[in-house]
Formats: sequence, C-alpha cells, structure tokens
Amino acid sequence: MSAESAARVERVDPLEPVPVLAGRPGDRELNDALFEPVWAKTRRGWLALFAVAVPLAGLLFLAIAYTLATGIGVWGNNVPVGWAFDIINFVWWIGIGHAGTLISAILLLFQQRWRTSINRFAEAMTLFAVIQALIFPALHTGRPWFDFWLFPYPSTLGLWPNFKSPLIWDVFAVNTYFLVSLLFWYVGLIPDLAALRDTSRSRAARVAYGIFALGWRGSARHWRHHRIAYLLLAGISTPLVLSVHSVVSFDFAVSVLPGWHTTVFPPYFVAGAIFSGFAMVLTLVIPARKVFGFESVITGKHLDNMAKVMLATGLMVSYGYLVEHFNAWYSGDHLESFLFFTTRQRGPYAPVYWLMIFCNVVVPQVFWFRRARQSTWALWVAALLVNVGMWTERFVIIVTSLHRDFLPSSWAMYYPTWVDWSIYLGTLGFFGTLFLLFLRFVPAVSASEVKELRRELEHEAQAHAAH
Amino acid sequence: MPPLGKGALHVLGEGRGEAPADGRERWRSLAEREGGGAHPAEFPAGAAEAPEAFSRRGFFKILGASAALAGLGACRPPRDAIHPWVRQPEKAVVPGASLHYATALAVGGYGVGLLVTSTEGRPTKVEGNPDHPSSLGAAGAFEQAALLDLYDPRRLRGFTRRGQPLSHRAVLRSLVELAASHREDGGRRLRFLVGESASPLLADLRRRIQASYPGARFHVFESLARDEVRGGHRVAFGRPMEARLRLDRAAVILSLDDDFLALGPDRLRLARELAAGREPGPEMSRLYVAEAHLSLTGSSADHRLRMRPSEVLAFGRAVAHRLAEKHGLAALAGCGLAPAARAREAAAVADDLARARGRALVTAGQRQPAAVHALVAALNAALGAAGATVEYRPAPEDPAGAAPLRDLAAAIAAGQVDTLVVTASNPVYGAPADVDLGPLLARVPDGVYLTLRPDETSARSSFVVAASHPFESWGDLRATDGTASICQPLVAPLAESLSEPELLASFLGEGDRGGHALVKASWEARRPRPDFDAEWRRWLGRGLVPGTATAGEAPAVRLGAVAAAAGAVPAARQGLEASFVADAKVLDGRFAENAWMQELPDPVTKLTWDNAALLSPATARRLGVETGRRAELRLRGRRVEAPVYVVPGHADDVVTLPLGYGRTAAGPVGTNVGFSAGALRSGDAPWFEGGLALAPVGIRKHAFAATQEHFSMEGRDIALSFDRAQWSPEKVAHLRGALPTLLDPAGDPEEPYRWGMAIDLSRCTGCSACAVACQAENNVPVVGKAQVARSREMHWLRIDRYFAGDPENPEVLSQPVACVHCERAPCEYVCPVNATVHSDEGLNEMVYNRCVGTRYCSNNCPYKVRRFNFFEYNKEKPPTEKMLMNPDVTVRHRGVMEKCSYCVQRIERVRITARLEGRPIREGEVLTACQQACPAQAIVFGNLADPRSRVSAWHGSDRRYDLLHEVGTRPRTAYLVRIRNPNPELA
Repeated sequence: MSAESAARVERVDPLEPVPVLAGRPGDRELNDALFEPVWAKTRRGWLALFAVAVPLAGLLFLAIAYTLATGIGVWGNNVPVGWAFDIINFVWWIGIGHAGTLISAILLLFQQRWRTSINRFAEAMTLFAVIQALIFPALHTGRPWFDFWLFPYPSTLGLWPNFKSPLIWDVFAVNTYFLVSLLFWYVGLIPDLAALRDTSRSRAARVAYGIFALGWRGSARHWRHHRIAYLLLAGISTPLVLSVHSVVSFDFAVSVLPGWHTTVFPPYFVAGAIFSGFAMVLTLVIPARKVFGFESVITGKHLDNMAKVMLATGLMVSYGYLVEHFNAWYSGDHLESFLFFTTRQRGPYAPVYWLMIFCNVVVPQVFWFRRARQSTWALWVAALLVNVGMWTERFVIIVTSLHRDFLPSSWAMYYPTWVDWSIYLGTLGFFGTLFLLFLRFVPAVSASEVKELRRELEHEAQAHAAH
Repeated sequence: MPPLGKGALHVLGEGRGEAPADGRERWRSLAEREGGGAHPAEFPAGAAEAPEAFSRRGFFKILGASAALAGLGACRPPRDAIHPWVRQPEKAVVPGASLHYATALAVGGYGVGLLVTSTEGRPTKVEGNPDHPSSLGAAGAFEQAALLDLYDPRRLRGFTRRGQPLSHRAVLRSLVELAASHREDGGRRLRFLVGESASPLLADLRRRIQASYPGARFHVFESLARDEVRGGHRVAFGRPMEARLRLDRAAVILSLDDDFLALGPDRLRLARELAAGREPGPEMSRLYVAEAHLSLTGSSADHRLRMRPSEVLAFGRAVAHRLAEKHGLAALAGCGLAPAARAREAAAVADDLARARGRALVTAGQRQPAAVHALVAALNAALGAAGATVEYRPAPEDPAGAAPLRDLAAAIAAGQVDTLVVTASNPVYGAPADVDLGPLLARVPDGVYLTLRPDETSARSSFVVAASHPFESWGDLRATDGTASICQPLVAPLAESLSEPELLASFLGEGDRGGHALVKASWEARRPRPDFDAEWRRWLGRGLVPGTATAGEAPAVRLGAVAAAAGAVPAARQGLEASFVADAKVLDGRFAENAWMQELPDPVTKLTWDNAALLSPATARRLGVETGRRAELRLRGRRVEAPVYVVPGHADDVVTLPLGYGRTAAGPVGTNVGFSAGALRSGDAPWFEGGLALAPVGIRKHAFAATQEHFSMEGRDIALSFDRAQWSPEKVAHLRGALPTLLDPAGDPEEPYRWGMAIDLSRCTGCSACAVACQAENNVPVVGKAQVARSREMHWLRIDRYFAGDPENPEVLSQPVACVHCERAPCEYVCPVNATVHSDEGLNEMVYNRCVGTRYCSNNCPYKVRRFNFFEYNKEKPPTEKMLMNPDVTVRHRGVMEKCSYCVQRIERVRITARLEGRPIREGEVLTACQQACPAQAIVFGNLADPRSRVSAWHGSDRRYDLLHEVGTRPRTAYLVRIRNPNPELA
C-alpha cells in the first residue's frame, strides 16, 4: 500500500476505506448526473451496442418461429439427452436474475447502504434475465401451444396438473418470481419517473413518464405508502431468493438420474445463482459506470463488495462440487462413482468439466487479493469467466449426466445445432436490447435513493462531528 | 370375402381387365373391336383403367366412398373367394373387426406359412401360421416387412413396352403375340431367367412351357444361390438334395459357417428348436460355430471358432480325422486330414460329437464350397445324424435343363435371344461383377421383366411388367419338409399388375385365366376328388395342404467321391480374404427399398441405413484403419470404396462385405445407401476369395448411423450370462424382489389382472423379429438416417447388444428392451400434466392427447425406452402407407412422447371378447406383438395375478432378475439369466 493511500485511509472511516458515495453532491447535481443519460442525445456507443443487440434479438425470434414451425427436432436434443441448451439456458438466466433480488431485497432489509446505487441496475437485470429464462420452458415442450396445461385451471376435462412434478413447482416459482421482480422494480422506479416527468423538456416525454409515474407528487403520504409497499415487496422477495433456485434444482434433485439425484442441490444451486448473478451485475455495471460516468455513485466500494460476495458464493459452489464427489464415493453407488469420477472428468465432455472447475473454483480465488478486487479490468474478466463457468456448470449437470446414464446401450452424444446457438445468442441479444432501452429511458441509478443515502451520510457526519 | 364386400366395394372402381358381370364385351372404338391394337387409342392408354387409383384425388374419392359405406374400408377384396384362417369364426367383413387369413411367403425359395391380419379388407399385420412347419406361429423380420412393400408408393403401376404404357388387356395380348412369334422355331430364341422357387405351380408351368417350346431354355439366378449345397450333395449322394436340420433332436451341433438362425426358410423353426434345447440342465445342447464374421448364429454359440471362410474345410477335415482316428469312424478316414492349426478345438469338437453320436449334428452354410457340404454329409452319415438330426430330401424339381446365368449372357452376346422373360429378382444388380448383364439385357429386343418396383433391371428392359405383391396374388409354395401351402391374396392388386404364374401362363395362352384358376386347376389335377371345392376351402382356411409333407431320407454317402472332392479344393490364397455375406436386413438387396428393414439395427453392429467392410481389431490395426475410416477395396482389378467397421470377434485377415447395398435405382429409400459389395464378386468365387487389397482413402470419417455405440456393460448387472458349471441361483438372488421402502406396497393385490412380461436371454438370439413386429403393430414411424444418427430412432422395442470377455473373441449378449412397466415408475411422477399414468392392472400408460412433450419422463427413465416425436414423423405419408396403419393404435404426432404399451390394444380386444362371453381372460389369450413374432419363444406375457400362468412361472424362476434392480423401479418385465454350455475341455 502506498503512503498516499495509507494517508487517505486514515482520513476516512477505517471500516470503509472506499466510500459508497464520492463527495457530497447536492440534489440538483445528483439529478443532473443521474438523469443525464435519459435526457442527453443518444450516444454513439449506445447506438453501436444497440445495433449489435437488436439483430441478435431478431435472430432469437426467427429461431423461435422456425422451431415452432418445424418441431424441436431442429435442436440437438435426442433421447438420452432430452434436455440440453433449453434447460441449461433456462437455469443460467434464472440464476443470473438472483443477484438483483438479493441486492434489492435482502440487502435492503439488512440496511446495506452500498446496495443503493446498484439496486435499480440489478433489478432491471433480474427482470430481463427472467424474461429470457421464461422463453425456454415455454418453448422447449414438444407442443408449446398446450403449455397452458401446466397451469392449474378448472378445465372442462376435469384434469389438474400433476402436483407431484417439480415442473409444476417451477411454473409457480418462476412466475411468482417474475411478477414480484416486476412489481419491486416498478415500485422503486415511481419517484424517479415522477422526477423525470417534472424535469422533462418535451410534452411527449412528460405525458409518457407521467403515465408511468402514476400521479406521484412526492407528498409525505405518498412516501409513507411507498416505503411500506417497498419494504413489503422486499419481504416477499427475500424468500424467493432462496426458493426459486431451490425449486429449479428440484427439477434435477427429485429425479433418479445419477448426477441429478443429489440432496445438496438446493443450497448449492442458490449459491451458484447468486454467484452468477453478481458476476453478471459486474459484467454490466463496469462498462456502464464508465460510459455514463457513474463512478461517483457506483464506487470502488460497490465493486469490492460484489467481488467479496462472489468469493463467498464461489466457495460455496466449490463446496457443492466437493460434496457431490464425496457422496459419490462415500455412498458406494457405482453409477454415481462412474459419473463423477469417469464420465465427467474423462468422458467426451471432460473439457467442459475442466473449464467449469477453472472458472468457478479457480478464478474466484483471485478475489482474496484486494488488488484484484480494485482493478476494474481484473474484476470484469473474472466476472465474465464466472458467467461462462456457471453456464458450463449447467451443461455438465444436464448433458453429461444424461448422455451416459444407466444402460450403456442408450448412451449417445449431444451436439447443439445452429438453432440452439441462435436461440442462446438471441437471448443475449434480447437481454442486451432490453437493457440498453432501460439505460436509455430510465435512470439506471435510483436518484431518490441516492439522495436519501446522501442525507443519511450527512446526518452521520454531523453526528460524528458533534461528538 | 363374401357377399357384402363384393357388391358394395365394386362401386369403388372398375377392376382390371376382369369380365363385366353381364358377360358382354366392352369396346371403345370399332377399330379396337376389330382387333387392331395398331390404332392409337381414343384416350391415353390406361385412362379408363383408374390410373389415379392412389393419386391424392383418388385417395380422397375412396376415402369419401369408404365413409359413405360406413367405414367398410378402402380396399377391394380379391376377386376370387379367399377364406379366413380356420380358427376364426367365418363371418363377413365387420367394421372395426379384423380377420386372419393364412397364406405363405417365399423365403429362400421355400414357403413360410403366415397369418395375415386383415382389417376391413386391408392387410395390416403379418404373423406366423402355428400350423405351418416352417413358421410354427412365428414370423421373422423379412416376412413382416414384406407388408410394407405391398403399400410402397414407389411400386410400379401398369405395364410399359418400349416406353409405351399398356393396359392390362393390351399387355396380355402382347404377351400372347410374343409367345406366338416363338411357336415356329420351337422357342429357340426364347429364354427365361427365373429365381429358385419351391412352387409346384411354377414348376408345372415351366414344364408345360418347356413342352410347348422345346427350344426355349430356363436359366436360374439367385444372388444368394444354394448351388454349392446341391453340388456338394450331388458329390455325396449322386443327386441334389436339401438338408433339413432337426435341432430339437440334437445335443451337439457343429455349424461350419452356417448362419441358420438368420437366413433361409427354416430359420424360424430352427430358432424354436435351438431354444428348446437351451433349457439349462444336463440335457442342454451345445452349439459350436466356425465362422469369420460375427453372425447371429455365432453370437448364440457356446463356442465360436473364429476362422477365415477358406479355413472351414480344413477344420471340418480335422474333425473328421479325429473322429476316424480316435472314435473308430473309419468311414471318415478318407475325408479327414490331420490339422495344421486349431488341433485342440478340432479334437474337442470331435470328441463332443462322438460322445453324442446319434444326437450329433454337423451343418454347413451355403457360402461354403461343395466339398464342405459333401464332407458334412459324410460326417452326418458317420455320426448317425442322417435320418435323425438331419433329414435329406431331393431338392425341388429344377426346371428341365436349368442353366446358369453365364450361358444366358453368352447367348445374348451371340444374338441368339429375341425374348427374355425375367422373373428373377433384379439380376442386373445381383449378377456377379464378371457378368455385365445390364448392357446385354438392353440388347434383347423383348426383355420382359416382372418387377414390383422400378429398379436397375427394369431400366434395361424393354418390356416392364408390374408384379403383383405376394399378398395380392394366388400361388402355392412348398415348405422344406414338402408341405404345400396355397398362397391366397389378401387384397386385390392396388395397381394393375401380373403375378409370376399369370405371366408364365400367358406363354401358354392362359394369361387371362387368373392366378386363382391356375393354382386351383393345378391342384385339382394333382388331387382330384368329388368334393374338391370344399377341400380347397379347407386348405385355404388352414394355410396348408395336409398330407403333402414328404419323409426325410438318409441316403448312402459315396465316401470315395467325398474324399476326392475334399482333397481337390486348392489351398486358399494367402493375404487378405474377401467374404461376401447376405445382409441381415436387406438380404441381397431385395429389401433395400424397405424402410423398416433399412432402419432396423443390424443384430451385431447396430448399424442402420448402411453397410460396412467388417474387420477384426487386429486386422484393422495391421492395415492402419479404424471404424469410420473409408477404404478402397481391390479384388481382381475391381474396386469399391467402403467405410470400415471394426467388430470384436471377427476373424483376422478377412474382410466381410455385406451384400445388398449400393443400389443405384432403388428410389428414395434404397438408392446410394451403403456400398455395393457385389461389384467385387466373381461368378466363380461368389462367397469368398483371397487376394483382397485394402487401403485407407481420405481423412474424412464416414458418418454411420448406429443405434448403439457403447458395447461394454461397464461392469453393471445388465445382460447377465453364466456358464452352466458356474451358475447357481444365489448369483442373482439380490437382483430381484422388493427393495426396503417406506412407501406403501405398489399395486392392488386384489386386482384380477396384473400384466407382466418375462424375457429369457437363454432363448433370445437377437434376430430382431420382435422389433419389426412392434413397429408394424404399433404404427412406429421410420425416421431416416439423419435422425437415427442424432439418436432419435423411434423403435419401441430395441435389442441391446453387449460384448463381454476377450475382445478378440468376446461373448455376445442380446437383450431386448422395451418399457418394463415399472410398478414405481420414475416417469410418472415427474410428468407435469399427468400424461403418463399407471393403470390398476399395472400398465404404465401414455396418454398421447395429454402430452405436452417436456421430455422429463424420458430423462428420468433409467431404461431410456421412451421415444419422442421430435418432428412430425407421420405427416407426409403416401395414401397407400396410410392403409398400413393399425387402426387400433393411435398415430402419434409431433411433440409427443411414446413407448411400449404392452400392446394394450390387444389386451382390450381380448377383454371385449371375454366380457361378451362372460368369462375372465384366459391364459395365453393375450399375445403381445413381440411375443407372437418371437421364433424362439423368448418372450412371455400374461397375468401375474394368476399363479398358474407361464409368466408367473418365469417370474418365479431362479434365473429371474430385474434390470436395474437397485433403482427400485420394480419392473413388470423380468429377465431370465442366459446360461451357456461351454465345453469344459475348451475352457
């Protein structure tokens, strides 16, 4: 540590070496800074990214149309490998969504200040990720036009879904998650929408933001109701952070297939979800804060904390791997031993397995080092690798378990087709499109909450000075 | 099909040239009436003959008509009365009900008796006739797949002469004219090229043609000819004989390259007899097979002696030598020869044969040269087998002076042939490479070719005649024991066509009599009696003519000739040997257009839609090739390129080349599938030949479509096999029964029916008859090579094949696997929409209508027996193929999961009958399609709630075990351990 930075540490709170808010900007300054991306002219960089994302999203819809028209035979799925990219991508996107909920709900309840400037960002990411995730279960069935049979409704046939099936639990869990995430994000957005309405320079913008602001006037009554609703939604969201991915993991854990039939799955899936979610937040926030100049509100402190969360959840994920392998050995089950010690490590998909180990077990270890946590480049590369790693983890769980199961006679390889890749890349494009639209039309950092944070910090500083 | 059918269904379309009911002649123009075929027709030829019978429009017309006729069916009944199988009550066509008709199909020239299910006039399923000596109620893959040929939309319709279409009447007239043109010179320029056939009617017709045209000649061509067998017997007995094996009487069997379980008309009976001798115990039979490629018979053997085809004779002589030296069979002294190799094996086999004298049997395959067959005749005579475990009968009458193909080629080349009538199967494709028949045939002014479909030969023939399918035509066939069957048609020809007897009869001026009159008259002449009509009906009903079996002989062997023949075979050329075998699926190419057979996995390699040059691992290493590598094969200056497939257990220094692929004019199904091994085959060495050169070409791997790629059991308890000496029931005691569970016991103990199945691996040969039966019964679609390569084949019943032991000569295990109907089914609880549920009787039922296709059930199925419709596999069905569909089974659509249902439709049929009769379902009344087809009776199905049922007995067997018992699924299908009976001396 250099002498200069050591001196700075002495000046500020020793427990918070890097502040959650740089300087003490006024309300107007904050408004200008945070609403600037909305009111400014469209940036070149944004346009360039949009020009990449939209065609990819178009590819997604083409691939979906092609799949619906011909059948999911255009994917690479086959008989031992009944699920592949469809469910890998579903689980991956759902997992990514988790960071948003964790940041906005759990950290809110735990009164973690550093969540304030990234929560909107993370919530939007959650929402858009869940939208991507929802595409897959809806599309992966053989007859998607009958997907509504998975919902419990009083049908004239007198038939109900099979409540014993984890897929039904999925339907409830994921839809609840989507609705709560949407409400939470929107409720948090209302004061800022009103502020946008009030500062807008064109009538069209005023009307548009006015409609979505739902008549917010910023009265004490409004604030009171808003706070209650927001906290309630946070309370509802909190169990979802744990439940959604637990339920998703039941899709596997409840089956009899070696590699799926594992009791450690629920906590390990939740940890993996948060791990991948934070990785995705970092992947998005690092370039965005640079481009939009949010460095003063999304500070090194935020990045540092997120890296620490990733380190913690990465270790949990590694522990999950360890437990899986230990149980395979300890149970003496020859099918599980074969899967964990032969198929995964030495089978035809072994490179994917070792890539997973590298990305999810080795890479997060760099976060033990402060320099790595403080280097945006190191963080960004590591976050990208973790994103890759978590995708390969789902590939390893789903495809390698299925492709060599009980009877060697039915073993077969799975190879993705161009449609599989189009849909996967397409969801990245669709996600990017939604996210870019979000950055362009909605304040990406919650102005009202940052202002609140500033006041709190001032109060604290005053109280400190009074001593 | 009596009164109802006839009147009503005739509305659907005027038949082919049959006489109008009023007996008056019809004519279109004065010119036609006055006998001029010369004038151009008023309408295009065939316009009046319902040419669009199965065009789209035509189909909908028929569809509409059939709806109007209250679903009486879209097929016309045959025009002459046919009679349902005798055990069925005689009744008219009942909508929704099906009838069985007995008929026979030629396999290797001989008849195999069948029962064909006819649903509202449409033949929909082929089963074996239990009364017939060759089928004993079973039906092989070929017999069953023949049904698909009937409905093939690519079948030839009508007749063309020099490119001009002809009507049915015109073709008969042309044939008569053609025949008349040969009267003058006694038929010297008239030739016939026919296949081998044991049909008395065809033999009659040939004899009569020969009498009318003394100068005409018959040539016989079969690409899988049995010339060597007859030649060997001519040496041994002085006349051509056929050997009929009786495995049920044999205790020790030595097969010299004889794949009797896969090929030939008796394979069904032999599988049954072999299986009967495999009941574990001291009486268990022992099978030795000496062969190069891993055949079905070899994979069932207790000892498989790997050797090159050319070494088989020496091995046989070594056995004879030992028998003569050690066991006092002095008669064999002349034939025997001290072994240069495999002395231990030869001695052990000879000792074993000698111990079982009178119950020993030696057999040789048709691929082996005449000397081997002569030697085998001598061995059987010396071992007391002749007349006991093998019966000899005179080979069916050769048409007088039948001459080989080579003579025909010479005659055509010399310009001595004006008319050549070809009824043999596709000779241009099947002829040996040194007889280039195609250009020669094109030079014949009138090359009349009778064929089911356009093919390589029809492209070269000037006069192409559409053949009626065997299920559309009258005829007769003898079985190998002489038993005659009348072949009755199940349906009127779907398109204008002639049968072989009708074609030949037109050279006798009887072409318009129709097959029925021809065959009936010939039998009436053979067996005249006043009540012949009633007798005839009985024959048709029963499927055979009683009292036609002939007694087997034990003719004396001319030992001197045998010894001379055995000694006269030149030593085989050194180096790599090419060995040509009939393919297990397409035979010599005649099933190459049959999609069921193309998609059926090969019993050993599990390849579909392909053949390959088969090699042993050691030879592959030596030649620097591996599975999938393409290689160039050169033999006598001829070359083909073929992909290589390495098979454990294959003999070294031999390349096995399955025939029947590489067809160039076989429609969308068969064209350019695999490579043509026949292009390397010479007429003088049709089965094996040394001097082959094999060199890898290119680096691109060939894409095989195999349904199974892993052949090791990975040490798991899957297909279990024990040697008899090591077997004890405790070895599998832990693999059956309920596992400890906290759940309630599954199933209702009060339930009167608890369906279950048991499969005896000791009996199963892996022949795949069950797989085809399942496909036919359950409307299972064919998906094509690309889909199979993506592991999406739809077979509900598959036959898993594993190798165990020594990779050079492994034990081969076949295990049929279909849904095992778990009592605790993992598929059921994971289905989100209750589309797969359990019945009270223990069936794991699939509700297609409810399925949304999440595939979760398949992922959670430990047996991976569920099949998913990744595409709309049933969309573009030609109208004729729709007629093939079993109306009792739903045709599944895209996005739906399907699997074995234990033939629930058959259970329900029987339940309806039982309910109407007010009684419970009887044991043996419900037969699943696989069980019914199985020639070895390896599959038993029935009611586990009935302690006296066979399936209960098998479930209670000490050999019974549950597949993947440790998963706790409690399958209703149990397996019985395979027991082998190896010779301790060879251990």
